[in-house]
Amino acid sequence: MNLRAFLDTIVLLTKSEGWELTNTSTPIIEFKNVGLSYDDNEVLKNIDLALEAGKFYTLLGPSGSGKTTILNLISGQLTPTRGDILFEGDVINDVPVEKRHMNTVFQDYGLFPNMNVFDNVAFGPSIKGMSKADIKNKVTEMLELVKLTAYADREINELSGGQKQRVAIARALANDPEVLLLDEPLSALDYKLRKEMQYELREIQQRLGITFVFVTHDQEEALAMSDWIYVMNDGVVQQNGSPEDIYDEPINHFVADFIGESNILDGVMKADYLVHFTGKDFENVDAGMRPNEQVEVVLRPEDLDLTSVENGKLVVTIDDQSFRGDYYEITAIDDDGNEWQVQATNKSTIGERVGLTFDPEDIHIMRFNESEDDFDARLESYEDDSDDVKA
Amino acid sequence: MLGKIKWANIYLWFVFILLYLPIFFLIIYSFNAGDVMQGWSGFSWKHYGELFADTRIIEIVVNTFLIAILSSLLASVIGTAGALYIYNLKQPLAKNVLLSLNNVLLVSPDVIIGASFLILFTVLGFSLGFTSVLLSHIAFSIPIVVLMVLPRLQEMNQSLVASAKDLGANNWQMLSRVVLPVISPGILAGFFMAFTYSLDDFAVTFFVTGNGFSTLSVEVYSRARQGVSLEINALSAMMFIVSLLMVIAYYIISTRAAKNKKRGAQMMLAATEGL
Repeated sequence: MNLRAFLDTIVLLTKSEGWELTNTSTPIIEFKNVGLSYDDNEVLKNIDLALEAGKFYTLLGPSGSGKTTILNLISGQLTPTRGDILFEGDVINDVPVEKRHMNTVFQDYGLFPNMNVFDNVAFGPSIKGMSKADIKNKVTEMLELVKLTAYADREINELSGGQKQRVAIARALANDPEVLLLDEPLSALDYKLRKEMQYELREIQQRLGITFVFVTHDQEEALAMSDWIYVMNDGVVQQNGSPEDIYDEPINHFVADFIGESNILDGVMKADYLVHFTGKDFENVDAGMRPNEQVEVVLRPEDLDLTSVENGKLVVTIDDQSFRGDYYEITAIDDDGNEWQVQATNKSTIGERVGLTFDPEDIHIMRFNESEDDFDARLESYEDDSDDVKA
Repeated sequence: MLGKIKWANIYLWFVFILLYLPIFFLIIYSFNAGDVMQGWSGFSWKHYGELFADTRIIEIVVNTFLIAILSSLLASVIGTAGALYIYNLKQPLAKNVLLSLNNVLLVSPDVIIGASFLILFTVLGFSLGFTSVLLSHIAFSIPIVVLMVLPRLQEMNQSLVASAKDLGANNWQMLSRVVLPVISPGILAGFFMAFTYSLDDFAVTFFVTGNGFSTLSVEVYSRARQGVSLEINALSAMMFIVSLLMVIAYYIISTRAAKNKKRGAQMMLAATEGL
């Protein structure tokens, strides 16, 4: 074997190995310490993300939290001032929008008013230079996917909001993106339509098996659709995890307050598995904190039950209630003056004194300024502990 | 309530009659058998015959339309490019300066523009004639086109551009397939506006026509000084009909183009009756 052939073989080997690697372990999109500033204004601070291929991700946060900025960084409409953005392991900081393997569904859809539905969906494939027959097949397939087959010849302004939404999704997907970016696409739709589209988007994502990155400020939407949620605030990822993790184990006051309804109180962790709040000690399932550490205590309204005064762990006075269809939302005040939100199945009488009860595992403890890594480590440690205890 | 509407209608008709009366007066006398505007001596096509026999006037009509079409076409291209440039400027200062320069040209008196062109052409040693008229018409039409196109761009949804890029379009594809079609009503309005301005411009043209070459407005003016021949009336009548046809053409084109759009043909230029 001559030297040239030998070298070629080596190159080939390393290449194929690299390919293996990208297929098995490299995230499809990765942020390494990404930051973005305008002049002195820091919009994003040191963001680290790792998105796996084929999953439904949600960036959740209030307006101004930086979630859309992250989306624009992924799509290439913005360039980071610090750090690296990687696509399948390659840095793409300077790759222009039109060269990235991803497409966006914009908040106001951005449909071309000078084209009908068919031509809108055909825009990407025709730019790519596909043949007429291929374009027609692609558009037909996409319109079928979003259930708009009968609307191919319609003009854009003849469509309802929901239909425009579907055209925007079909148009973005017609380019066969590896990642679909969705910028609050459902915010302009009414409640019922939004629910329907949540379900359909999830279905489309699972059918196509591509990665979705969905931006929303609606926590309900995020919980219903996502495999994984990044909760954003002030340009920082506050917490990331599965919807269940984030709902059941919020890391801090912001997350607990933003995701779902919460009763948040100040408390003291007297010892492992013993927390003190509203002047009483309660058994709980958290551990690993300093003795007498100041903490915040979270109790979800649906975990609280009303009972007789004798059976209650706390005694409260019913202050207000409103009917919500499947439950009554009750506001009650305890003897320390703390307000409690309770979801109860039975109607109460305003002014009545009742007992409030909950299980030890319903008490969730949050430490002040705990980092996500420390939080995860602590949770893991005492979850093992409690398993040991049970065993 | 009813009385109010009635008065409004009467007022409206009064204004329109007042506006159109001189033109109808002119047209009616173009059919006069006599040679003056005083006294009706019977119906005749005589002046139309004279008009078509007058090769100089026919040539001038052709020149006038040629100048109007060429200048408005070129001004539409340059003006649209200019509007796109201004629209894409990031610095507000540069944007405002350019816009102001554009608007100053629009409001400055024709006499000054005409005189300055005359000085420019003389200084450059440029011979006056068809080209000098064409160039000056293009120049004063560009700001008109910019003015008509820029609002279209500004009200265009920003995410159209983002979407086109997102779907893989390069700058040219984005421009030709999305932006230009979307702003085409503005370009069309700009074109027609520039066309009518060119067609009935007197002041600027008067300065830069030179010897021999002439456009209609300048010719009519110079002939009127020697006493109005009814041939001019015949010509004016025909120009009026042409203007009318142009208004109708603009209406049809813009409604067809805007057939499927919520916003379509806006205003029509009442100015089109021209001469």
